[in-house]
Amino acid sequence: MMKIRKGILNVVVTSIAVLLLIALLFPILWIISSSLKPYSSLFSTEFQLIPANATLEAYEWVLFESRFWEFAKNTVIVYLTTILSALLVTVPAAYGFSRFSFKAKAAILNSYFILAQFMSGMSVIALIGLYLFLVKIHLVDSLFVVGLIYAATTVPYVTWYLKTYFDTVPREYDEAAFLDGASFLQNLIRVIIPISRPGIIVAIIFITLLTLSEWVIAGILLSSHKFTLPVALVTLQGRWETPWNKFAAMSIIYSLPLLILFMLSHKNIEKGMSMSGLKG
Amino acid sequence: MKTFQNSTLWNPSRAYLFIIPSLALFLFFFLYPIVYSIYISTTNANFFNFVSGFDFIGLSNYRKLLIEGEFFQPLLRTFLFIITSVSLKVVFSLFVAALFSSPYLKFKNILYPLYLAPWALPWFFLVMIWRGMFNQDFGIINHMLMSLGFQEINWFFDPTNAFITYNIVETYLVYPFMMTVTLAAIQSIPVEIQEAAIMDGASPWKRFRHITLPLIQKPFLWATLMTTIASYMIFGVPFLLNKGGPIGMNEFLLIFGYKKAFELGRYGFAAAFMVIVFSILVLLILIFSRTTRLTESVLE
Repeated sequence: MMKIRKGILNVVVTSIAVLLLIALLFPILWIISSSLKPYSSLFSTEFQLIPANATLEAYEWVLFESRFWEFAKNTVIVYLTTILSALLVTVPAAYGFSRFSFKAKAAILNSYFILAQFMSGMSVIALIGLYLFLVKIHLVDSLFVVGLIYAATTVPYVTWYLKTYFDTVPREYDEAAFLDGASFLQNLIRVIIPISRPGIIVAIIFITLLTLSEWVIAGILLSSHKFTLPVALVTLQGRWETPWNKFAAMSIIYSLPLLILFMLSHKNIEKGMSMSGLKG
Repeated sequence: MKTFQNSTLWNPSRAYLFIIPSLALFLFFFLYPIVYSIYISTTNANFFNFVSGFDFIGLSNYRKLLIEGEFFQPLLRTFLFIITSVSLKVVFSLFVAALFSSPYLKFKNILYPLYLAPWALPWFFLVMIWRGMFNQDFGIINHMLMSLGFQEINWFFDPTNAFITYNIVETYLVYPFMMTVTLAAIQSIPVEIQEAAIMDGASPWKRFRHITLPLIQKPFLWATLMTTIASYMIFGVPFLLNKGGPIGMNEFLLIFGYKKAFELGRYGFAAAFMVIVFSILVLLILIFSRTTRLTESVLE
């Protein structure tokens, strides 16, 4: 009797979970199906996972006719600037916070932690001042500046996260390095960074996901020939209603590298992101 | 060892060498712009006079907002949104977390990463997908409604319907976060407690209600507060779905400020607006962190 009851419950609970999952993944299936539709049947609402007259014409348009590569080049410039400058400033900062004790330390770390939760909203609040200030000093419409701004928005979270990671590196290692005559910088580069590689990788993934989905700041600071892909995707769709199959195909191509990155590292990200995974 | 850690080698003044570059970057691109907004908020700066020269006008932008009351409608809308969306998110994520902590759920290891899959896509892309699904001409949602015998619904040109779509999409974006936090907390509950309750014949619902819920209270409360503050700054979802429309009837705080600045070019007014929004935000965070020891519970 117990066995039958347990069996029934297994089936019921598992089917609820599977049905819910189908509903949750449905938007993704729908967009894939949309990207395969030919232009002529765009307005038929019939849903088939693979449309009867499936075609790759939207993908061909993205790769060979659209401005995709131009936007992609801009995105790469911003992205590389962000990653390089963010790591260049946050790794030493995390070392400073982890190894030294000084007056403002707790205050700064606490505010970083809070700020990290709400950076995307706060950047909208700061955007007016940021835009006007950059207009004044003639730094608008520069991909490098946008990269630096993104790096600045990652400072609170990445510094905080790397600091907690560096804390786990035993201080005996520092001592050994110093006895060998290492300087702080050598200690950081030769000892701390190699040991903390997993933590730095999580930081890079975090910066990547954050940067590659940002469109608000870039949309204000860049003119249309310097658009990054996220800005191009949201504004082109908004202004001229790019046919939906083309929009779908471009977004999917853009998302694939991110999806693969996420799948390869989701265990690490869950840990890191549950600390700062708020979107929107 | 002790003497080594306390030695003058770790002189605090050297710490600043490591920290200053990051602080400088952050202050220059984040804090300074906020300070600059405060300055702009006391002027009549707008799209036309910003480069040629604008004038100090004191607190008159603030008077328009607070005394003539232009601030309060977006504020009220935002509070309404916080109430509906946070409740929806809490209920939905608790439901999913309960599902995953159920002993009757099979294939947990396969289902769990799939539940998190939306997290892997850029969030603006997910919002745009929903915008397509709610679309009147080719959206699947109206198609489904009609094939089930319902009337088709005008999602984006009716303020209430649009408000509903924001809630749905927000919940869709945030549940992976809340679910992860909640499940991590549930998994940290010692197995012995659950087993003891099973021995005593407690039903699954009773176990969830009387053991799981009280024990996950702290992290769950934390996730809820984070979501509440994030909802206060709701921007992306309504902006991408229909720009807080129709005709501005769903403009929440940040959308209102953003549009005043970047669509109407009323820089001084918009800056004053954002300064008030920012002050309330700081106040909210202070209240929350005092009452719940927000940071301690996580930093410890």
